[in-house]
Amino acid sequence: MKTIELSGIEVSFAANHVLKGVDLHCRKGEVMMLVGPNGAGKSTLIKVVLGLVKPQKGGLIVDGQPTRPNKDFKHCLGYLPEAVAFPENLSGRQVLRFFASARGLKRRRIDEVLERIGLIDAAKRCVRTYSRGMRQRLGLGIAILSEPELLILDEPTGGLDQQGLTVLWSVLEEWREKERFVLVSSHDLTLMEHRIDRLCLIVAGKVRAEGTPAELRGRAGLPIKVDFDLFGDGCRVHLFLDQIRSWDRVSSFRHEGKRLMVEIPPDALLELMNQKHLDEETVSAIRVNEPGLDDVYESLLREVS
Amino acid sequence: MRRVARALAWHELLERTRDRWVLVISALFALLAMGIGLYGRGLGEDAAGALTGPSLVTLAGLFVPLVALILGHDAVVGERERNTLGLLFSLPVTKAEVVLAKFSGRLVALVCAVTIGLSAALLINQQGGRFLLAMTGQTLLLGAAFLSIGILISTLFQRQVTAVSVVVCVWFLLVFFYDLSLLGLLVISDGALSQELVGGLVLSNPAGLFRVQMLAWFAGEEVLANLGLGVGLPGELIAGLIWTGWICLPLLASILLLNRARS
Repeated sequence: MKTIELSGIEVSFAANHVLKGVDLHCRKGEVMMLVGPNGAGKSTLIKVVLGLVKPQKGGLIVDGQPTRPNKDFKHCLGYLPEAVAFPENLSGRQVLRFFASARGLKRRRIDEVLERIGLIDAAKRCVRTYSRGMRQRLGLGIAILSEPELLILDEPTGGLDQQGLTVLWSVLEEWREKERFVLVSSHDLTLMEHRIDRLCLIVAGKVRAEGTPAELRGRAGLPIKVDFDLFGDGCRVHLFLDQIRSWDRVSSFRHEGKRLMVEIPPDALLELMNQKHLDEETVSAIRVNEPGLDDVYESLLREVS
Repeated sequence: MRRVARALAWHELLERTRDRWVLVISALFALLAMGIGLYGRGLGEDAAGALTGPSLVTLAGLFVPLVALILGHDAVVGERERNTLGLLFSLPVTKAEVVLAKFSGRLVALVCAVTIGLSAALLINQQGGRFLLAMTGQTLLLGAAFLSIGILISTLFQRQVTAVSVVVCVWFLLVFFYDLSLLGLLVISDGALSQELVGGLVLSNPAGLFRVQMLAWFAGEEVLANLGLGVGLPGELIAGLIWTGWICLPLLASILLLNRARS
């Protein structure tokens, strides 16, 4: 597969229009993340890709050709559902063995995956003894078992501890390196922020914004936060404080002891750094904080609402 | 059967062998069947055949539908509740294959439970192989029909607890209430309802058909007249059609429902 597109997807359940003409372009070697409020249509869109929901209009286009999510397509697919559970009386290895045999994989691959997801020591234990994070890792193991061309992860960070997150990040990195497709739906923007390449905001069944995190930050136009550590409260520091306070590009000014926190537009950073009294005698450290993706999301959501 | 469906059927069988409810009810069935076998043996050779067979028919007529319904009740709704139905359908498999694989895997579990129970009872009672074969065959048809109904119930509902409640109601309705209500109707109608119609209605119920066929097998067809059924034993073709209908139609309905539903 070279390209995967969703074109003009429309889905209605009775009078409820869930998706209203969604276009989405997944690129090779990119992690695409779907975000949006509950009921926006993200899960339905994933179900369209999986072939679980048939759209009334539009469809899947693979390598420029309209494609139905048939068996051939499903051979290239790996899926981690949200809050997945498995038969409680089976062991992790038995669950993986079923999916491996269903996909015609060798037994050796089960051990490789168990090793990778960190469940090799718990492989013989019944799933009912697994924690939520371990179940989520097992689900991730099933999704990557056949090394699919397209990996679809629905809320993959749910319940994962640091070890689980490390596994997840390594999977995303590997799929990116191997030029495969990844589609993630998640509400955890803070955790996913540095792991994704593109973001697609879906609100009320429509794509309202799409782009790289940097592009969406630019579109949101949120101020950046600059944090200064000041040298005491000498004369030069006071001059610097007065100068910043009176600067018309500062949207927020907070001075607490030896700390100054200001908010400025992203394009004003260079100007700030060139302020007359900003030197090694007034400031000991500067920290620049870009707005988080969660702030960008909130801002875009307000904008489109 | 294709690879995915075969793997799913095997997985279903494995899962059922770990299901404590299935194990408990199967063990109870085996114990009661063995009890009947031992009791019949104690009565001597003549009484053994006359008592053991009908008693086993009654026992199987009660237990096997329950085991089958329990086996089938979570086939789809269980996956739905665990959020694994989508995961299952993300495999290169059709919905029809999923339903048939689930049916096959669970049927094998049922075959094991029924065969073990009946074989133990009939061996204790020193009954012949023909008897065992007929009894097991009919019992498995009964089980397959109720398993199929169980799978349909499992497809219809979103929550497992609802499916369990419906399964118990269906068992009660078809195994107990159906015959009694027909009897009641016959009495209330004071002859207005023809015996042929009532007999036909009895035979249209898989539990009724099983009892009638097995009783006729043990005691001859004249027993049907003595029971006031007013109809003869259905021919092999008719009986086969009734069994096929009860086994295939619920499965077909499940497949159609799954194809229509959003998973």
